[in-house]
Amino acid sequence: MKTMDSHKTISVGDSFKVNQEVDKYRAIYYAGASGDFNPIHIDPEFGKMVGLGGAILQGLCTLGFTADAITTWVSDPGRLKKLKCRFASPVRMGDTLTIEGTVSEVQQSRAKLTVTVKNQDGIEVLTKVQAEIEI
Amino acid sequence: MAIDKKYIGKQWPTMVYEVGKEKVKEFAKAIKSTSPYFIDDEFAAQSKYKTIVAPPTFAVVFGAKLIEPIFFDNELNLNLAMLVHGEQEFEFYNVVKSGDVLYSDAKIVNIENKEKLDVIAIEIMTRNQEKKDVCKGIYTFVVRK
Repeated sequence: MKTMDSHKTISVGDSFKVNQEVDKYRAIYYAGASGDFNPIHIDPEFGKMVGLGGAILQGLCTLGFTADAITTWVSDPGRLKKLKCRFASPVRMGDTLTIEGTVSEVQQSRAKLTVTVKNQDGIEVLTKVQAEIEI
Repeated sequence: MAIDKKYIGKQWPTMVYEVGKEKVKEFAKAIKSTSPYFIDDEFAAQSKYKTIVAPPTFAVVFGAKLIEPIFFDNELNLNLAMLVHGEQEFEFYNVVKSGDVLYSDAKIVNIENKEKLDVIAIEIMTRNQEKKDVCKGIYTFVVRK
């Protein structure tokens, strides 16, 4: 069993970095768990037909990876208070995402994070990411 | 055809969702989470939450129950073939615990008609069985013309 929960203290400049591999079947796992079976995510042929060049991962799966990177870093799923993004560029099966966050501002009870999510080519797949955690 | 702005404010009936522990674990696996809060019964029982809790973006699982009827709403008549998820915003107030009964309400909070696309934003507000706020999600979709 893992250790009990402990409260991680947060200061400006603290940071984390996580790599996430998007394996061949990730969109299918996410479809089953979330209910988003849109064929653009699970059918490469359909993805090609509508001009996407293949299947693309559900944007909310990428946001799920991002939320998990943050809550794992602070060791408490209840400390993430706000998360916002624009789905700027498609994520494909086989991509490797790099999720990085840095504390940019600490207020009374909240800390704001600067978060980037890029693929292996350095393209930001999520933009305008806003994240706030409880300190 | 453009989405009529008169539908700003349109609401849908409250949706009820009971959170199952195994569903939470399945969702955690889908986002490749290894956090013991989501998947380890023994850890969860001894944590401050006393039970398995859901990853924050599990909100999309109960949110989807409301999004679907909106996508197929006859009045809105959205062109789903041209619809993409543009932006997402969440505010989290209280964690979702396994066994919670969640009550979610959806309403359209914005419609914009632009030259080449329409934008529609849907707000989903969720409370639990203790009438505490759980989360607010704003789903913004873009419909190309």
